[in-house]
Amino acid sequence: MTDIGSMSLMVAFLVALYVMVAASLGKALNYRELADSARAGLLAAAGLLTLASAAMVYAFVTRDFTIQYVYQYSSSDMSLPYTIAAWWAGQAGSLLLWAWVLSIMGVVVVWQNRRQNLALLTVIIAVIAGVLAFFLGLATFVSNPFDKLPFSAAEGEGLNPLLENMGMFFHPTTLYLGYVGFTIPFAFAIAALVSNRLDDQWIRSTRRWTLFAWFFLGVGNLFGAQWAYVELGWGGYMGWDPVENASIMPWLAGTAYLHSVMIQQRRGMLKVWNMALIIATFALSIFGTFLTRSGVLSSVHTFSVGPMGPLFVSFILVVLAVSVGLLWYRLPQLRSESEMDSLVSRESSFLFNNLLLVGVAFAMFWGTVFPLISEAVTGTKVTVGPPFYNQVIPPILLALLAIMAVCPLIGWRKASRSNLLRNFLRPFVTSLAMPIALVALGVTNVWAVGSSWILAFVVATATLEFYRGLRARRRTRGEDPFRGLPRLVASNKPRYGGLIVHLGFVVMAAGVVASSLFSTSVEGVLQPGDSLDIKNYQVTYRGLKEYQTASNQVVSASLEISKGGRFLQTMQAEKYYHRNHDNPVTEVGLRSTLMEDLYIILAGWDDNAGSATFKILVNPMVTWIWLGGGVLLLGTVIAIWPDRRERDRLVRREQHVLEREVARVQP
Amino acid sequence: MTTPARTAPAQGRHPGPGGATAFWKRKKFMIVAAVVLLALAYLIIVGIQNAAMYYLTAGELLAKGESIGERVRLGGTVAQDSVHAVSGGMTLHFDVTDGQQSIPVTYQGVVPDAFTPGGEVVVEGALTPEGTFNADILLAKCPSKYVPSI
Repeated sequence: MTDIGSMSLMVAFLVALYVMVAASLGKALNYRELADSARAGLLAAAGLLTLASAAMVYAFVTRDFTIQYVYQYSSSDMSLPYTIAAWWAGQAGSLLLWAWVLSIMGVVVVWQNRRQNLALLTVIIAVIAGVLAFFLGLATFVSNPFDKLPFSAAEGEGLNPLLENMGMFFHPTTLYLGYVGFTIPFAFAIAALVSNRLDDQWIRSTRRWTLFAWFFLGVGNLFGAQWAYVELGWGGYMGWDPVENASIMPWLAGTAYLHSVMIQQRRGMLKVWNMALIIATFALSIFGTFLTRSGVLSSVHTFSVGPMGPLFVSFILVVLAVSVGLLWYRLPQLRSESEMDSLVSRESSFLFNNLLLVGVAFAMFWGTVFPLISEAVTGTKVTVGPPFYNQVIPPILLALLAIMAVCPLIGWRKASRSNLLRNFLRPFVTSLAMPIALVALGVTNVWAVGSSWILAFVVATATLEFYRGLRARRRTRGEDPFRGLPRLVASNKPRYGGLIVHLGFVVMAAGVVASSLFSTSVEGVLQPGDSLDIKNYQVTYRGLKEYQTASNQVVSASLEISKGGRFLQTMQAEKYYHRNHDNPVTEVGLRSTLMEDLYIILAGWDDNAGSATFKILVNPMVTWIWLGGGVLLLGTVIAIWPDRRERDRLVRREQHVLEREVARVQP
Repeated sequence: MTTPARTAPAQGRHPGPGGATAFWKRKKFMIVAAVVLLALAYLIIVGIQNAAMYYLTAGELLAKGESIGERVRLGGTVAQDSVHAVSGGMTLHFDVTDGQQSIPVTYQGVVPDAFTPGGEVVVEGALTPEGTFNADILLAKCPSKYVPSI
């Protein structure tokens, strides 16, 4: 089975190379058979990679420790789910996963476009095959998951205990779906450039792909934040680590792209900008994969040595050179069809939303690569840590949220005075209730009060929009709001789905603002019976016990929690010592409620004195961040859902374009 | 919501009656966009100035004479056998070395799981006149094979 795996991997690499060349030549020479063989080749590569992936899983499940990768990342005592998840625990397996997912997406693209976009398809296949060949080249020659172990071993080393968490199933997989997914709109963009089909066909064809990739990348980041929160044991969910930043940057660029393409579809503007954004999004996705997979973790100490780094950097440079070259070549064909009319308009608000999103991405990029730049320029390494991001990012995000309130309702072209008054006067005034209420409750933090107003403003404008829709349905069809709401949403899924996504961000932002401004903590050394007070919680230490699980020695501290004198529950804060690893794993005691999380870290203990040391945090509203993720899911699913009306609209427009063409040819 | 159909290309591009206003319109956009970009640039530059910290090895920090009290990041390896903990785990003493020179570090706080003697760390804090490095942030690079350096 191993041989089948490594053979299929090798052959898949050769096939991908062939597909890339055949598709390119087929397009250049207009040679139909060559292009057809490329299409078949892509299917073959997907088949081979499915086989290789099956071989990988088989090797893990049968505990085949003759394979180095299986030896390094699993052991016989691991449960089946984690044994399979060990596939993406390391570099070689992740490369295989990346390639396999991309090849499957390639097959879906070929199938979706069996009757449409035929002019673009050959180039799309060439681009997908090119990216595939790069990853397969790495997986075959640099970091091969099927390499044999140079010695024989009866037992594997086992998975890093930090990775034995539910997050292992959701975080890497969703993140990869996002990273890989952005290849598809990128491939369409390149195909549009090469084939000189620069209308918005490529954008419309990839709307769902983009949403899909964008959603999974966002959710992947959320899963990562959640994992870090429960597993890394420092009380936070975001540390501005280079790896974290690297996976947020493509998401930000993708968000900008999702918005600005709407302007191109409506008004035929921002064509060059959209191309630049999707190129940047793809390049940042590769950059993110590279940072994650190149040996950078929890330190500013980035960019490992070895062939992987230079290869990734070269690949990114090639991608950028080719795409920017093509974009440059097609500049004359990418002229705007109309002009910005007014600063107070939908177009303008989208433009500024884009500037800010790209601004956030740039600030993150700058902070991440600053040590390298400073070292190259001045010779000394200067770093920027969390204070930089905490100072720079929040104001930009708040400005973005303010635009989010205005953008969906402001008029196109030039918003009239009456449009502004009608849409914004009431939400603006009613949302003032929020900051006033907070001040009345005794909140004096300017950031908290200001953010609460902006967030309330977003909610108020979105509510007004839903209210109007429902009122109109009641008038015209006599529907009551309960039946009207789902129908209203179904009547324009992209629009209402988008509004729901916005509300998801409001929920998330509320959680982020509250937890970052009002987190409190205490530390202390406790004897059994002693207690620590934090806010109105009282945490009493009851004692330490040790026990043994299948592969871990566990030290567990038992704590009694009461709030305002009333007993709530007993909690455990633990440290796990895996038999194969020197480092402990912290299992925090966590009590989550809608309003706040009580978060208890067992920091250490003294066996002789019988004491234990704790750090206890109260983080307000962290749950809102995960809830916001749920709302995000709901909104995205609605926006992505198949829509008959949308299809009819497209068909009508295509007919219109055709008639225009015919009219032009036969004057 | 009213959504206008895709509009015909504006006439602003061509010289003529609309030319001057179109030029002025574009200029307005340029100015506002420039203000936004300048504000972003200002935020980033000030942010860097406030948050920038030297990232040094033990040798570099010692060589850099007048650095007592200045907040820096010190990176290196935790010297084997130099680690000892006080008071149940919230204070930790260890030496950070770059292979040749080393600096004794006192860290206050929760020790990250990834911390091991012989492993790589980055500590943030300042050098005291006595020659100890007082750190309140400790980042340990995960020594596991999760990230093999190939």
